Amino acid sequence: MCDALALHRLDDVAVALRAVARGETVRIEGEQATCVTASAEIPMGHKIALRGVAAGADVRKYGEIIGMARMAIAAGDHVHVHNLVSRRGKRT
Amino acid sequence: MTNTFPGYLRRDGRVGVRNHVLVLGINGLAGAATRRIGAAVRATVTVATPYGRGQIGPDAAIHRRQLVGLASNPNVAGALLVGVDRKALDSIASEVAATGTMVETVALDDVHEDSQALTARGIALAARLVRRASDDRRQDCPLGALRIGVECGHSDATSGLAANPLVGRVADRIVDHGGTIILGETLEWLGAEHLLARRAATPEIARAVTDAVARREAYPASLGIDLLGNNPGEENIRGGLSTIEEKSLGAVAKGGSRPVEGVLGHGEPPAGQGLFVMDGPGYSPESITGFVAAGAQLVLFTTGPGNSYCSAVAPTIKISAHPKTAAHLPEQIDFDGSAIIAGAAHAGDVAERLLDHVMATASGRLTWGEILGEGDEVFLRLGPSL
Repeated sequence: MCDALALHRLDDVAVALRAVARGETVRIEGEQATCVTASAEIPMGHKIALRGVAAGADVRKYGEIIGMARMAIAAGDHVHVHNLVSRRGKRT
Repeated sequence: MTNTFPGYLRRDGRVGVRNHVLVLGINGLAGAATRRIGAAVRATVTVATPYGRGQIGPDAAIHRRQLVGLASNPNVAGALLVGVDRKALDSIASEVAATGTMVETVALDDVHEDSQALTARGIALAARLVRRASDDRRQDCPLGALRIGVECGHSDATSGLAANPLVGRVADRIVDHGGTIILGETLEWLGAEHLLARRAATPEIARAVTDAVARREAYPASLGIDLLGNNPGEENIRGGLSTIEEKSLGAVAKGGSRPVEGVLGHGEPPAGQGLFVMDGPGYSPESITGFVAAGAQLVLFTTGPGNSYCSAVAPTIKISAHPKTAAHLPEQIDFDGSAIIAGAAHAGDVAERLLDHVMATASGRLTWGEILGEGDEVFLRLGPSL
């Protein structure tokens, strides 16, 4: 069993299939096969960045846009509400 | 898989997977009496609306649609309607009776506002319905008669990764056999509406999908409220879901991959077969009552960490793919899909097992929620009481 699953070849993130400790090398399988080093603890089911994403750029999972980077994201970062924000449902 | 299952064939051709006698309170003023009647008569299911007066326009219409829809769900052999005024009762009763469902009524009007007398009369009428319904027998019914609502509640990353796609595979099989799937929760199409619209059977249906999402998205904004504070919820965020788009992309997988044949209003029965989407609330209890009022005989309900809520009228099959959830909640989770997450089984094989489980449940296997009495129905309101 791999450590994290990339769901689409366009995805910027993979989903951790088990809890990953900071500094661990994470083996990614699925629609992308690669390894990244976790820069933070990543709970099971949470997202790990496969590549760098510039602040304000789209973040993809399922091959679709799930929001934008609130700040620069580096490969191996935990991607969650602290650095990823919805583009939708905003106050007008 | 065979094309038939043992179900209850109703006079108008609808098929039930259960043979309930429903004790339905149609007005909050008679709610306590309704519950007394249900508690006194074995083998009944009780639902009592807290509302029923001071409702106007779309709010009154949707309340009535939910009451009529619940009582005429194919799982209901007979319904005792408990109300306040004779006129409102008769109006709803005649609509329910038109479907062929046995209907009895009892009103506070008939008993000089004496709720004890109402209870006594209701017990006698419900008892007679149970006796008559007990003569019904299961017989071979077409699989295509199944109408299944698909729901998720307390989602986490395993929902979008495994449980929802699993339900989607089963949804496709049901549709391919001529059955009907209803996917609700408009807010959870937000960010995935282009995928649903792309699958719409006509351009009008595609537009109806995106319009429904736009209305749902505009409502909190019009109140100056940021949607992000409300959805994804706490359990979702703990489970690794960060945005509504991410949650939606996982959620719509429950609908499978077949064309979208129409956009239904809350509780509105589909006019044909295939996959339909229901423009309704994201709050699971209300959403599920919408499906059941639209005639769904079964509900497939996915969850990450667990969620005990079930429909009272339609058996609700709980599915989780989180490796720990089924072990923690062995008398809640009806189907454990965690072998997919563990990499121990192919999703297609697990989907076949889930389909078998759905057919067994349609044929009479009880869900944990039925056994433990977790069922309820929750009525959607569309406006304030006058």
